[in-house]
Amino acid sequence: MRAVAMRYVMLSQNVMTLGSGIVFPFYLISIKEIGGDFTQYGIAYGLFTICSAYLNGYFGRSSDRFGRKPFLLLGSWGMAALFLLFPLVTSMWQVYALQVAMGVFGAMQRTCEKALLADLTEEGRRGEQIGRYHMGLSLFSGLAVIAGGFLVDYFTLDLIFYFGSVLLFASGLVLLRVQEKPGTPGMET
Amino acid sequence: MTSRTRLFAAAAVILYAGAFALSLTLRSAMPRGEEATDVGRIVSAKVDKTVAVRTTEDVAAAIRDARREGRKVSVAGTRHSMGGQTFYEGAVVLDMRRYDRILDLDAEAKKITVQSGATWEQIQEAINPQHLSIRVMQSQNIFTVGGSLGTNIHGRDPSEGSLIETVESFRLMTEEGKILTASRRENADLFRAAIGGYGLLGVILDATLLLTDDEVYTQHMSLLDYKKFPDALRASVESGRTGLVIARISTAPSGFLRDMYMTEYMDSSIPLAEADTGLKGERAVELTRFVFGLQRKYGWGKNMSWSLQERLFRSTEGKSITRNNAMRPESGFLEYRDAQKSDLLQEYFVPLDQYPAFVDGLRTLLREEPINLVNITVRYMPRSEESLLAYSRQDSAAVVLLINEKRSPARLERLKSVTQKMIGLAEQVGGTYYLTYQPFASKEQFRAAYPAADEFKAAKLDYDKESLFVNEWYADYLR
Repeated sequence: MRAVAMRYVMLSQNVMTLGSGIVFPFYLISIKEIGGDFTQYGIAYGLFTICSAYLNGYFGRSSDRFGRKPFLLLGSWGMAALFLLFPLVTSMWQVYALQVAMGVFGAMQRTCEKALLADLTEEGRRGEQIGRYHMGLSLFSGLAVIAGGFLVDYFTLDLIFYFGSVLLFASGLVLLRVQEKPGTPGMET
Repeated sequence: MTSRTRLFAAAAVILYAGAFALSLTLRSAMPRGEEATDVGRIVSAKVDKTVAVRTTEDVAAAIRDARREGRKVSVAGTRHSMGGQTFYEGAVVLDMRRYDRILDLDAEAKKITVQSGATWEQIQEAINPQHLSIRVMQSQNIFTVGGSLGTNIHGRDPSEGSLIETVESFRLMTEEGKILTASRRENADLFRAAIGGYGLLGVILDATLLLTDDEVYTQHMSLLDYKKFPDALRASVESGRTGLVIARISTAPSGFLRDMYMTEYMDSSIPLAEADTGLKGERAVELTRFVFGLQRKYGWGKNMSWSLQERLFRSTEGKSITRNNAMRPESGFLEYRDAQKSDLLQEYFVPLDQYPAFVDGLRTLLREEPINLVNITVRYMPRSEESLLAYSRQDSAAVVLLINEKRSPARLERLKSVTQKMIGLAEQVGGTYYLTYQPFASKEQFRAAYPAADEFKAAKLDYDKESLFVNEWYADYLR
C-alpha cells in the first residue's frame, strides 16, 4: 500500500513542481514590469523565505497531529489561488503581500512533503526511494524551467501564472487519492 | 477513493473554476499595459503594448489598430533618449529595431538607403568594403538611424553639421497610413520638422543618407588649458586637415574643469590601400568598465582615470587609424544597469568664444552644488539651422556631461534644480541645451532655446491632425 501511496505522492509533487517551476524563475519579471528594482527583488524574495522559516516548525508539528495530506493539499491549492492573483497585481505592496502568503503555503508544502517522504519510505531502502523520488522531481523542475522560459517569451507573463495555477490545483487533486490516517505511519489508497 | 473524497474533489474543482474565471474576468477588465522606460530610467510610463515592427505593413497595421482603439503612438529605436521621447502613457510603442534592412547602396553616388531600424554599425559593415564612411553619427555606433534622425544628432567631424545635413530624403508614414517622401524639394517643411522632431510627425520608414570616403587619419593628442581651447579648436577646424576631433575636460578633483586634452584625427597622406581597413571589435571592455566604475564612484578614481586616459591617448600618438574605425569607439563599457542609479547625459551648446565663460560658471556652480560628474566631452558643432528644432544656431562647443545620480525623487529634484541653473548658464552666453535628455528645463528655458517651437508644433499638427503621434516629452513641453 505504501508503494501505491508513494506513487501518487510522487505524481502529485511532480505536477506541483512543474506548476511552480514554470513560474518561479520568471515571476519576478512581473515586479520589474510594475517598476521595481533589484532592491525590491531582494525584499520580495527575502520576505518569502523569512515568512516560511518561522512557519516550518509550526506546520511540521501540526502535521504530526493532523496528518501531512491536509497541509500538502492546502499548500498546493493555496499556491494555486495565489497564482490567480498575480496577474491582477498593480503595485509593489501587493507583490510583498503575495510573497508573505506564498511563504506560508510554501512552508506547509516543503515541511510536509519531507515528513511524508519519511513516513512512506522504508528503513533500509530509504536512500534508494528518496533518490528515485528526487530524480522525478528534478526532471520535472528542469522541464518546467524550459517550458516557463518558452511561455514567457512567446506568450505573456500572465499566461505562466494561469498555467502554473492549473497545474498546482491538479497536483492537489492527485493528492486526494492518497489516504492517510493521522498517527499511523502506513497509508492506504 | 471514497464517495466523500469524490464529493470534496468535485466541490474543489467547482470552486477553483470559479476563482479562475473570476481572475480572468478581472484581468481582462484591467488596462493592458507594460512599463516602458529608456536608458535614463527617470521617466517611465505604462504603455498599452510594444509592437515589434518588421515590415512596412506592420507599421500600417499598428497605426490602424491604435486609431481604432483611440490610442496614441510613440516610436522607439534603441531608447537612448532620456526624456520620455519613446513612449507615452497608454500608447502603442513601435519598436523599430527589427525594421532594419539595408535597401540600397550606391557606391558611385556615395549614398545609402536604409530602413529606420538599421544601426550605424550595420551601415558601417555594409559600406566599409566599398571604402565609404558615414558623414555624421554619434560617438557610438549602436544607435538606429531612425532614432538618430528623430533627435537630429551630431558627431565629431568638425566639417559637418548635424545629421540633417547628410540626409537626402526620407519616407514617412502619416497618421492616415499614407507614405510621404520628404526632401529639400518635396515636403520641405516635413523634412525640417521631422528630423529632430522626436517621432512626432509620423513614422520614418527609411532614409537615404549621403556618405563620404573612408580615409586614413593619424591621431594627435594635445594637453591644454580650457581657456586656450576655443583658439586651439578653431585652428584645428580651420586647418582643413582635421577629420574628427574630440576633447575632454577634467572632472577629476585635481584639475576640475580646467585641464583638457584634445584628440585630433588628422588627414594622413597614407593611401587607404596600405592601411588596415578591417573593422575592429571592442577590446578590453571589462577592464575599461572597471576603471569607469571607479571613476563613477570616487574622486581618486576620477584622478586615476584622467591620468590613465591621458597615457592611453599618448600611446596612440601618431598612430594611424581609418575613419571607419575611429568612428566605432568602444561603448560596451558604458552599459550600466544599477538598481538605484543612472548614468545621465546632458548636452549644452555654447558659442565657441563663450566656452571659457561657460566653464567658469559651471565650476562655480558645481563647487556650490556638487553633482557626481563622471565625464565631460567637448565636440565642435558648426552652425546648423536646417532642422526646426535646431540646437546650434552658431558655431559652438558641444559640451556633453555624464552624470551619475541616484534615481530617488529627492536627488532628481535637486539635479533638476542644478540642471536649470546649468541651462541658465548656457543661455546667458547665448547657448542652448539638447532636448534629447532629461526633461528638467523649465518651459521658459525651452522656449528661449528653441524659438521655433511653435512653428514646429504647427507643422506637427499639419501632418498629424489628430495628434496620433505623442510622447511624454511632447506632453511635458508642447501640449
